[in-house]
Amino acid sequence: MPLATTPADIEALDALAQRLMGIFTRAGYERIAPAVIQPAGLFLDVVGEELRARTYVFTDPDGAELCLRPDLTVPTCRLHLERHAGGNTPARYCYSGSAFRYQPAGADRAHPREFRQAGIESFGAPDRERDDAAVLALIVEALRDAGLDGLEFRIGDLGLFTALVNALPMPERWRWRLKHQFWRPEAFRSELARLTSGAGQTMGLPRELLDRLDPADPGGAEALVIEYLDKSGHELIGARTASEIAQRLLAEAADMRETPLPAETAALIEGYVGVKAPARETVDGLARLTRGHGVDLSAGLDAYQRRLDLIGKAGVSLSGAEFSAEFGRNLEYYTGFVFEVMAPALGHKSPVAGGGRYDSLLAEVGARGQVPAVGACIHTERLLAALPEAAP
Amino acid sequence: MNGKLILALPSKGRLMEQCNTALAKAGLTITRSGPARGYKGEIDGLPGVEVNFVSSSEIAQLLRTGAAHIGVTGEDLIRETMADADERVRFLKGLGFGRADVVVAVPACWLDVRRMADLEQMSVLFRRLHGRRVRVATKYVNLTRRFFAQTGVTGYRIAESLGATEGTPAAGLAELIVDITTTGATLGANGLKVLDDGVILESQANLVASKAAPWTPELAAIEAQIAARFHAMREA
Repeated sequence: MPLATTPADIEALDALAQRLMGIFTRAGYERIAPAVIQPAGLFLDVVGEELRARTYVFTDPDGAELCLRPDLTVPTCRLHLERHAGGNTPARYCYSGSAFRYQPAGADRAHPREFRQAGIESFGAPDRERDDAAVLALIVEALRDAGLDGLEFRIGDLGLFTALVNALPMPERWRWRLKHQFWRPEAFRSELARLTSGAGQTMGLPRELLDRLDPADPGGAEALVIEYLDKSGHELIGARTASEIAQRLLAEAADMRETPLPAETAALIEGYVGVKAPARETVDGLARLTRGHGVDLSAGLDAYQRRLDLIGKAGVSLSGAEFSAEFGRNLEYYTGFVFEVMAPALGHKSPVAGGGRYDSLLAEVGARGQVPAVGACIHTERLLAALPEAAP
Repeated sequence: MNGKLILALPSKGRLMEQCNTALAKAGLTITRSGPARGYKGEIDGLPGVEVNFVSSSEIAQLLRTGAAHIGVTGEDLIRETMADADERVRFLKGLGFGRADVVVAVPACWLDVRRMADLEQMSVLFRRLHGRRVRVATKYVNLTRRFFAQTGVTGYRIAESLGATEGTPAAGLAELIVDITTTGATLGANGLKVLDDGVILESQANLVASKAAPWTPELAAIEAQIAARFHAMREA
């Protein structure tokens, strides 16, 4: 990865960023420059401690906890909400700027701690598949305009996983747990194992109390919790109330009495997570996988196919693209379509661009309710490194 | 450096006393030298060694950067200081003192939380009801992040705590803690319990060698000599 060190490098990088911004603004995206320094609290509440470990957090002389933005998506969401309280006003933004990430194994050319992103974010467009396709197509147009050829694609669709879990018979809270833990493969596997075999166990929780709890009587459950605490000599300390503790124990009691998840259902979920297929064969493959299980994935699969067709109509061929059910699993805020664009010169470990749909993020940052949102960004330095010498 | 093997030892507290006892048992006599404060020393009969007395948390830093060749400090401090400790240091010998477990402890009144998986479930409900994430008070920021990530717990914030961590839940400064414990008595007295799968690390004082330090065959030979003395101490 060439760090811009010579005047020629610096000019080439600036010119490239300028060119990308030209493509984005001409497509109707408004250029913005979100603040580099962000309030740490909000960021960390949204992205969690895992990204915090890679975020430069510091305290200013007034004691305020701040951070250097680890990406530009959350800052763009914040800026949007400052302009439009509620967040549901449709808007399209583009930006070019630096993001900062601590590299645990040490920063080097392939893993810089400071790197430029040129990106687009589209909020509030109601036709999700059309907007997914438009964002991917615009990123591809920008890469081609910069002079990059031979693009390769990897795609995923977290909406298909949601559709599968929603279609399988199980209590709603179990669905929620599987979706919640989807991001962490190990925790996901143990959750699945627990629902399949361990649902009848108390897992160390006080059985004599669980047996007496009645899901139809939350008030009674709270009284039983207080009585149990009194008898065992434990005082209530901290912010959690007896009612909260009772609420959780009631869910556990309900799990204990629930019929465990059938082994073939767990096998189907695991089978889906392992799916890797050419993007265009995914629909047939998933239909085969779910045949005989009595699950109807048609809504999710129709959306997938429609998006694929719209991408094709926009002039991007995904004939060589790979679909991976697991793709997107390490990027917690994505909720639907996800993609990466690779340049052969850089290999699959250093995608030159990537993005996806994140319909929950604006709500996390403060919008009233979910707002459709999709975005993507180009790693500007990587793109420069991938370009043939003479281009553009 | 002056071509000597730099040995970093704890400069104060209980760890220093226990370390001195262990050194004596291993037949290594340390003479403090230099200015009156005596933060330098020598080992009788091993002229190629320079002893530096520093605080235990600093020892981990010196080993990480290679400013010391070997040192005695707790495994907890080594693993907290280096995410990739096994890449950066060699653990030569557990010394049998300074034993402490780094554990996840929650209020004993949380009847619904026995395991890390319960903690994740609980934290989601907590965030919905209280409008913020649960706070984990600890001085082991990195160990906590790594362990919570491994066990699939995400809905928390770390509140750094540099002392009296076990009192923070009762004081309302945090909901739970990650801290060291030997018998669990202090945790119990503060109304806390250790989660069933909440032991992050069983730590003790270790003789540790830095991979980043400037090693020569001569220095490696001295290291082997010192390590052999400690090994003999156990078998004796």
